[in-house]
Amino acid sequence: MANVQATQAFYSLTLEPSSAPTAACTCNVIPGLKSQDQQIFEARGQRILLHRIVENEDRTEVKVSTFLDQDVFGIVRGVSAFRIPGTGTDQLVVSSDSGRVVLLNYDPDKNSFKRIHQETFGKSGVRRTVPGQYLASDPRGRCVMLASAEKNKVVYIVNRNAEGGILISSPHEANQWASLCFAVCALDTGWEHPVFATLEVDYNDAENDPSGEMYERREKQLVYYTVDLGLNHVVKSWSDTVDYSANMIFGVPGGQDGPSGVLVCCEDRIYYRHDKSQPLSIPIPRRRGATEDPERKRCIVAGCLHLSRARHEFFFLLQTEDGDVFKLTMAMAEDASGRRTSQPESMSMRYYETFPVAKQMLLIRKGYIYIAAENGNNKLYHVNDLAEDIEFEPQNYFTSDSYSPDPEESYEALYFHPRGLTFTSLAVDIPSLHPLMRTQVANPLNEDAPQIYAIQGTGATSAFKTIRHGLEVQEIVSSPLGAIDYSNLWSLKHRASDQYHSYLVLSSDYADKTIVLSIGDEVETMENSPFLTTRATISASLMGDATLVQVHARGVHSILESGTVNEWPVPSHRTIVAASANERQLLLGLSSSELAFFFMGDDGVLNQLEEMPEMSGKVTALSVGQTPKGQMQAKYAVVGCDDCTIRVLSIELDSPLEARSVQALSAVPTSIEVIEQIEPDSGTNVSYVHIGLQSGLYLRAVIDDVTGELGEVRTKFLGARPTRLFPVSLADSSSCVLACSSRPWLGYNHPLSTIYTLTPLVMAQTLDAARGFVSEHINGLCGIQGSNLLIFELGSVEKRLSTETVGLKYTPRGMARNPWNGVWYVVQSEGNTLSRETKKALRAKGDGVKKLEDGDVKMETADGDDADMKDTTAPAADEENDVGETDRHLGLSRGLGHWASCISAVDPVHAKAITSSIEFGENEAALCVAAVAFESRNWEVFVAVGTGQHLGAAAGADVQTKGFVHVFRLVDEGRGLEVVHKTEFPTPIYALLPFHGRLALGVGPELFIYDLGMRALLRKSRGLAVPNQITSLQAQGNRIIAADVSESVTYVVYKSTASSGAPAGAADRLIPFADDTIQRWTTATTMVDYETVAGGDKFGNLWVVRAPEQASKEADEEGIGGFIVNERSYLGGAPYRLELRAHYYTQDIPMSLQRTALVAGGQEVLFWSGLQGTLGILVPFVSREDVEFFAQLENLIRAEEPPLAGRDHLMYRSYYAPVKGVVDGDLCERFSKLSFDSRQKIAGEVERGVKEVERKVQEMRGRVAF
Amino acid sequence: MADKLRTQQQLESLQNKYIGTGHADTTKHEWTSNIARDSYASYQGHPPLLHYMSIGMGQPMEKVRMHCMERMVQPVGPAPPVED
Repeated sequence: MANVQATQAFYSLTLEPSSAPTAACTCNVIPGLKSQDQQIFEARGQRILLHRIVENEDRTEVKVSTFLDQDVFGIVRGVSAFRIPGTGTDQLVVSSDSGRVVLLNYDPDKNSFKRIHQETFGKSGVRRTVPGQYLASDPRGRCVMLASAEKNKVVYIVNRNAEGGILISSPHEANQWASLCFAVCALDTGWEHPVFATLEVDYNDAENDPSGEMYERREKQLVYYTVDLGLNHVVKSWSDTVDYSANMIFGVPGGQDGPSGVLVCCEDRIYYRHDKSQPLSIPIPRRRGATEDPERKRCIVAGCLHLSRARHEFFFLLQTEDGDVFKLTMAMAEDASGRRTSQPESMSMRYYETFPVAKQMLLIRKGYIYIAAENGNNKLYHVNDLAEDIEFEPQNYFTSDSYSPDPEESYEALYFHPRGLTFTSLAVDIPSLHPLMRTQVANPLNEDAPQIYAIQGTGATSAFKTIRHGLEVQEIVSSPLGAIDYSNLWSLKHRASDQYHSYLVLSSDYADKTIVLSIGDEVETMENSPFLTTRATISASLMGDATLVQVHARGVHSILESGTVNEWPVPSHRTIVAASANERQLLLGLSSSELAFFFMGDDGVLNQLEEMPEMSGKVTALSVGQTPKGQMQAKYAVVGCDDCTIRVLSIELDSPLEARSVQALSAVPTSIEVIEQIEPDSGTNVSYVHIGLQSGLYLRAVIDDVTGELGEVRTKFLGARPTRLFPVSLADSSSCVLACSSRPWLGYNHPLSTIYTLTPLVMAQTLDAARGFVSEHINGLCGIQGSNLLIFELGSVEKRLSTETVGLKYTPRGMARNPWNGVWYVVQSEGNTLSRETKKALRAKGDGVKKLEDGDVKMETADGDDADMKDTTAPAADEENDVGETDRHLGLSRGLGHWASCISAVDPVHAKAITSSIEFGENEAALCVAAVAFESRNWEVFVAVGTGQHLGAAAGADVQTKGFVHVFRLVDEGRGLEVVHKTEFPTPIYALLPFHGRLALGVGPELFIYDLGMRALLRKSRGLAVPNQITSLQAQGNRIIAADVSESVTYVVYKSTASSGAPAGAADRLIPFADDTIQRWTTATTMVDYETVAGGDKFGNLWVVRAPEQASKEADEEGIGGFIVNERSYLGGAPYRLELRAHYYTQDIPMSLQRTALVAGGQEVLFWSGLQGTLGILVPFVSREDVEFFAQLENLIRAEEPPLAGRDHLMYRSYYAPVKGVVDGDLCERFSKLSFDSRQKIAGEVERGVKEVERKVQEMRGRVAF
Repeated sequence: MADKLRTQQQLESLQNKYIGTGHADTTKHEWTSNIARDSYASYQGHPPLLHYMSIGMGQPMEKVRMHCMERMVQPVGPAPPVED
């Protein structure tokens, strides 16, 4: 399976990895931390992550920081952590699709995972009988069980040997033919033999019984598997029938802590079962409310256990599908002498809180609950109260006393009142992008780089998001400083030993003046400052211990601590054009191309070097290096001249101003900064020279400490304005550089990847200059925007994307942009949810209950963005505050078979809110939307929405599934919507497309073209395009690409009668002429060019197909008499077949694809977004050489570092079809994470230096994306 | 003859080890059940696919997973009556 490089190859990169969690657990992997200080081990897509909860002393600021994130190139399906007795840290277990179990350790020195064991037990891939679906580990850390959906289970016993090494046994199988496994958990048996419990259904009898009787009598068994550590085998030790609807089991603490056994969670009931105890049962309380169906039964979807080993107390938190969390406790029977026995007497449940539905809920001992949310942001809640007060809300407290544990017996349902957060408070809202329904890259504001507009989320937490590449900035002060524009500023300390800045010097070139502000409790203008204010300042700095040095065009003004002012005048007929100083050295560039150099003695007086060497051209910028710690002088200064060169000069006193090296540039340097930064590789300080050019380019190079030579040059285009650089330092005092072009950028070593990263700051207006700003209350930056002084703080530099959110009502399904302005039309629909009309009717009926629901219960806001939320509901106030805070917190009212749906016009640019919204009634669900300019209406733009009515209705039901196309007129510049009419269709409409001033739409397998009529749409053309169901349409010219739900794409050509001169009355024709050879369950497509289509499918593949040249030509022959019309169908399909050009498995399901550029001046790439929140790109390779280089690099890394979870990388990327024409950039980027030896080896193989390979890999990303 | 026996044994061991290994008399029902069970197991095993379905169905992933599991018991209806 060689990696075939076809005519066009792509480089695949992930811009933002998937955020959807698949599994999570708590663990203690960092040695030396308290056992309370638990970390979170989480799997998201193909990555595994370790998070820590960081809080400040008084717990006012809490952060979930990811300290390790590794791509394992495999489908991670389960994670677990356990502590082998006698070891210091937890072992992490990962089950994936590799057919292997992997034991990992965290290595705190290298901050990486260390693989301890990798044991193969089956074939790779997600298979029915290969274990990996379920993973459970013994609470005492003695063994792990992996199970498959059917038949197979395998147990590994783990041990520690005398040397502290971890031993793993050979696999013990416990296979059961024809048995399906519904859930697995480990029992807590204390130190007795470990037991695993499973829920199983044996289908053997049902399978062989034609009458179906055995199927009706099928049973679900709770099975115990005991791992006999003495005999070293696994036996099925007990089994008993449980309620058939059981879906989840949790192990109850045993030994000294509790009764052992399991909680069996079924539909509407929870049982306690154990072979040594009496069973117990309690119903799951249902929600009470006017809009709640009292008959609807809930299941448990997530849960966690809290066990205090010291106090032998435990409770469970169990979450239902609505998100309601119940606290379940068990009471033990007491024996005659009043001691607690291990026989449970009753269970009690208390409504605790409502959280987002979790994939995994974790209770962290520090007092937090981590919700790895199924949809939307992951959240961390702080636990304020464990709801131990019985008096509080007695109506939400239930016990099992009166309930029989017999599943057959009928019982009375329990009801509770949901409410807002009471016992917990939201501590951290971790921004996530899953589920990402659609994205569109656009630039309605004409910013430097386009933004990504996304519809995201489900239910009441749905949102329209504007995603920008950039760091968020918190503005603290923005104050105008009069009418003149300032050009530079400096923040100065009064003494070198001071902690805070005391002076802010602002200089205006335009007005030729300087103002000085003093920084105290307030920032205010200093009337009688020692600085010279009648001239513009070129540079101001603090030198020596306490000498303030101000350089202006005519001289150097130095203010000694005593107040004495020394003035050094410029030699006659010359002015100073550039200056730079560090603690002891000052370098000036004069208008005569000469350099003047000063050294400051201990007395604070500047001593001039007599020599004034002349440079080759006019000096435009210069910089002296920072004084290294513990030394008196920096070694090098860099001087840039207008002949497009920079020179490195030695500025040490024994060889002053001796040239060391020269570097030519592409444009005139406007700004130079020499900064010492940590080189992540070696961890040592290295001098980097940062250069900003007239052309908006930014360069960074390393100055060799010995020779002064420049090396490792990296370039990036920042914007249209000349780049100016300012050294700043972050809150954690790492030094970085702020580059101001048409927008400001921050260059820093990324805390997680440790790679030097340039990220723009998200600001309405660019900065002219910026410096560090440290005062008693603020540790941030200050900057100038024209005549404004801005003081701001940077948030975290970990996330490189910033988002703005507009809340939506239901799950968004599609969006279309207004062609003229930045307004989007978003269609939303929610299955099994009551529509607004139904809710209104229900509320009217049960008004009394409603009062209880809305009035008596006070809400706390869960999200921090409630101001934002009010904005969005304000224009829709007439809608009875439908998606109020209650709904948002508790979720929408559910109702089986109901659909709630609406279309909203969203203005994310100016109003930043929904501007208009129309609900659909009659159980319709909006599925797709298009903004169409109809030629027949003088190109007026209308919005067409395709809907489905009674979606999901069974075949025999009394209602039939059908579709509609609604047309809306736009009012108020597209911000408002007005109903025009709707047209009925026999099937739901999944695809709409504006086509030649008309509307193309897919009705089942047929493609239609419609025009707008007075009362309905009018059919103009019709053709059978695909075999099943059109899900997506694209067009260029007369060519339409129709994507089928399961059969890839079909190219259709539209033959218009108007152009062909055919007789009047002959209908326009739609002729399919090329289709695919492989079934692809297409989710999204885009035309890359006239012949080529890129698409994604439900199984997570990305592919590029192309029409053969002949087919393409033939299809475009003039007129309807052409060859293509009479072409014979080939093998029951279209006459021609498409060629596959690229194929790549991404794991995430691509939902949107777009050919676009992502950065200013960047090449166009294929941008895609996946359901689980992935943002990725396919970069077309420009040169053959690059293809060969990266393909070779990929191969070498594959061999050098096989993926962590044991999956073969090439097999993984070829999951459904062999990878073709795509190089995995994510793997190539692992290069910089490899060990030194591996890097050397690989670099040797590709015949390049290590640094050069690194540069190439980074440039591949930096050129086109972020 | 011995050879034939061994082949038979090998086939049987394969059938035991790997569910879905066919035999000369595989019925349509066995074959389709087997495929359907494979599919349902695959839906659960690929988290994005389960996520996709759960959003489409408006149900939490755990419910969709249970639905898939449940369908595996008898994915294509009862076996047709055996003709003698």
